[in-house]
Amino acid sequence: MFRKILIANRGEIALRILSACRELNVRTVAVYSEADRNALHVRFADEAICIGPPRSSESYLNIPQVISAAEIANVDAIHPGYGFLSENANFAEVCEASHITFIGPTPDAIRLMGEKDKAKEAMAAAGIPVIPGSAGVVPDEDSAKEIARGIGYPVMIKAAEGGGGRGMRIVRSAKELIPAFRTARTEAEQAFGSPNVYMEKLIERPRHIEFQVLGDKHGNVVHLGERECSLQRRHQKVLEESPSVAVDASTRRRLGKQVVEALKKIGYSSAGTMEFLREDSGNLYFIEMNARIQVEHPVTEMVTGIDLVKSQIRVAAGEKLSAVLPPVEFRGHAIECRINAEDPETFTPSAGRVTVFRVPGGPGIRVDTACYADAVIPPYYDSLIAKLISYGHDRAEAIVRMQRALDGFVVEGVKTTIPLHKRILADPNFVAGKFDTHFLERLPALEAKAK
Amino acid sequence: MAKKSTPQKHVSSHTGGVDLQEVERLLEFMAKHGLEEFEYERAGFRIRLRKPFSQPMGFSRAVSAPEIVVAAAPSAASGHPGSAVTSGASTAQEQAAEAGRAASEDVHVVKSPIVGTFYAAPSVGGEPFVKVGSRVDEGQALCIIEAMKLMNEIESDVAGEVVRIFVENGQPVEYGEALFGIRAHRKK
Repeated sequence: MFRKILIANRGEIALRILSACRELNVRTVAVYSEADRNALHVRFADEAICIGPPRSSESYLNIPQVISAAEIANVDAIHPGYGFLSENANFAEVCEASHITFIGPTPDAIRLMGEKDKAKEAMAAAGIPVIPGSAGVVPDEDSAKEIARGIGYPVMIKAAEGGGGRGMRIVRSAKELIPAFRTARTEAEQAFGSPNVYMEKLIERPRHIEFQVLGDKHGNVVHLGERECSLQRRHQKVLEESPSVAVDASTRRRLGKQVVEALKKIGYSSAGTMEFLREDSGNLYFIEMNARIQVEHPVTEMVTGIDLVKSQIRVAAGEKLSAVLPPVEFRGHAIECRINAEDPETFTPSAGRVTVFRVPGGPGIRVDTACYADAVIPPYYDSLIAKLISYGHDRAEAIVRMQRALDGFVVEGVKTTIPLHKRILADPNFVAGKFDTHFLERLPALEAKAK
Repeated sequence: MAKKSTPQKHVSSHTGGVDLQEVERLLEFMAKHGLEEFEYERAGFRIRLRKPFSQPMGFSRAVSAPEIVVAAAPSAASGHPGSAVTSGASTAQEQAAEAGRAASEDVHVVKSPIVGTFYAAPSVGGEPFVKVGSRVDEGQALCIIEAMKLMNEIESDVAGEVVRIFVENGQPVEYGEALFGIRAHRKK
């Protein structure tokens, strides 16, 4: 086991890693920017080193400063948490060169997963279903017809260089194809200077479902079930749960096994997440892999009873999964609400001093936070101030516990997303498990109609 | 650089083991008697409080600014997360604050721009770049900070006289840690 770990992060995840280290009897070194002098990770770590000014590019993202801190503190490993340097292959390489263990996958695995096209190719080659589409640019109208026929309608045409909806066309039948193909090319040419377009199967009413995985350095990989993360706003997850009501036991077993086999092939050796889109008909398609511990890992911890962060540290130290994990079983249901310092209607960040911070408790409630009364939420970093997690023997119990906990969570001084979560939890479609990634876009509209 | 395990190393200012209410009472005592500076010692605990120069009597300023020195305090006791959090990490800040007060307003504090190891001399066993009393020009090398095997010369950003050196040779320093106090020459 490691003797001393530097935690290259801040906020609740820095405290989460600190807890794991404390339980493993490993000493901790916190690093912090000048904006985080009074942060709890600084207070509770065994040592703390200031690494720069508030801007994260000059502190938490500053590789030379982080490595220098690791060297003067003489640590044997660095835990990057999520965000910041967690999926920076170059940083993982610098750690290696400095004889410090990077607690995460190998630089090669990070690099592969960072390039989405290559990751998809690798996963498809390893037998994981990916969204059917043109393998690259669609050269002309004849090939467009042929590819669309192969995929099956509806299809989506997307600008190769693009983003933000321009050069994008949804095609529902063969007779719409050629006009749409031409318009998409023209738009792409005008917007991005290149007429190149891809074609992909259109996933209607998609749900975002992801599998938690854990690999060791001896070629073993397990999956720890799925999480449902469809409740998103501008691709930011808002609420997550495990298990998903849209995944049955046989799908979990089948896809879980495929995921494990694929990751063994590429030699994945840490905690990670395989993200899928599920179409209405029930098919799941791989979209990308996150090569890090994720914000929403606690829901998996609750339903498996496995401490993911401790396990991640132990496998990084060379232990085998068989020694680290008990037999994997899924029990009960867990929900996580991300409490952000944001306006619950407009989602604009709300930085400032927290004056009241009253955290709920009681049966089945867990709160992961680095916030406290009198804490200042700096404007420089992400707005997550707490993760409220509820656990129940089934989904209904997890929901009522979450509702009860949200009512008892009092934050004053900054605006939070607590009112948004109360509305989600009270929504009949949410309670019935009927939602997709567009759920939150429809939620305010429903509210307006009711008034 | 704050190593909570080795508080004897240099000024360690975390409040582990310090009763904040006691500090509060001492501050009130100072205000009541119009004291500028106050030092108090009992077994395993020493505290020094000093009001900043030329500050109005505003009490809240005195609470935030005094230098708090705790000697031989035990390792950080479990505290109340909601209470005023002062940790070992505020060393540099307090050091700088002390530096600001220790001499007149003409003293300029040169802070470390990077994390690393402080070396006073260009080579092992060599003469230090500067000593207390040395006159330095703007741009003159004051010390070396080693970071990731690279030797970074730290230059003075003012011309003047070195009146204080806050760190020892070979000591690890963090970002923003006070290194030198330099009394700047007045430009006429």
